[in-house]
Amino acid sequence: MDHRQITWVVIAAYNEAAMIGHVVSSVLVDGWKVAVVDDGSPDDTAANAAAAGAVVLRHVVNLGQGAALQTGIEFALGRGAERIVTFDADGQHRVEDLPAMVAALDDADVALGSRHLGGTEGAGSGRRLFLRAATAVSNKMSGVRLTDAHCGFRAFRATIAPMLRMRQERMAHASELLGLIGKSGARVVEVPVTIRYTDYSKRKGQSPLQAIRIMFDHAFRR
Amino acid sequence: MIARILFLTALVAIGYLGFVRRNRLPVNIMLLFVVLGLAAVAVIFPEEMDPIAQYMGVTAGVDMIVYLVQVGLLFLSLHFYTKFVDHQRQIAVLVREMAILKAELDQSRRGTTSSPPVARDRVEDKVPAAL
Repeated sequence: MDHRQITWVVIAAYNEAAMIGHVVSSVLVDGWKVAVVDDGSPDDTAANAAAAGAVVLRHVVNLGQGAALQTGIEFALGRGAERIVTFDADGQHRVEDLPAMVAALDDADVALGSRHLGGTEGAGSGRRLFLRAATAVSNKMSGVRLTDAHCGFRAFRATIAPMLRMRQERMAHASELLGLIGKSGARVVEVPVTIRYTDYSKRKGQSPLQAIRIMFDHAFRR
Repeated sequence: MIARILFLTALVAIGYLGFVRRNRLPVNIMLLFVVLGLAAVAVIFPEEMDPIAQYMGVTAGVDMIVYLVQVGLLFLSLHFYTKFVDHQRQIAVLVREMAILKAELDQSRRGTTSSPPVARDRVEDKVPAAL
């Protein structure tokens, strides 16, 4: 069954003018519906996403990735989406992995991409070690056993979305989301995906030092 | 004597700004009045604070007042931090709602809506408070 008509791909973007057009085009060409949430970018992210053909939602001020994703999810629900995918704006995720992610929801409520089951391109050993350590901590905190706890490539059924409403506006939403999944009793499956690290995506990504801020937010700003 | 007049003036000013100039009274107004009253007593009769301080295990009344002020300031910091986080969340809800409404409007104007928007309950209304 082709799930493209019942699926929305939600992309949160901040200062991604250089890459967003390419990312949107590649997803649209494959036949998926795309909603880009421009999180108050001062650059041309919104204009480039719209020019590429996406539905663009624009935060008038920057709220953080968690809030941007939540906005896109609510929009998609309002559009009657039955399945929702979150996809990175910096080109790290591959459109080729989308069908497997969405199809995994035939037997699950939530599908989480795993670069440790799939693969990475261009990741240094330091980053891989950091990700594994973060996953170990996250598994302890959330109670959900995963091989990759912080992959932004996720898919879930619309029926489970109300249970996964994130309150953390910034990057701590990833840890918060896993906690909500754990509490909700949702059926979770991990799907092998390949994450492409480029110089561009590495510049845009999180530094290990930011993990301290994320853990503070997750622990104290519930 | 001058210090006492200054402290009392400050207390009166806080009371005036806190209660008279407010559009609506705070819930804990009585508690605040009691605190202001006690502070005024401490200023007018500082020597009377010593026995109370010693009963509570503090050497001098002035020390006790300093400790209470420290606790009060910490409480205020926490109070305003909580308010700040609440306001951040309220702003986030507004900004997100604006983004969605604007996108819906743009879609309608362009006539590119492939499917009409379904009735959209706010997601947060459906979520148990515990979440």
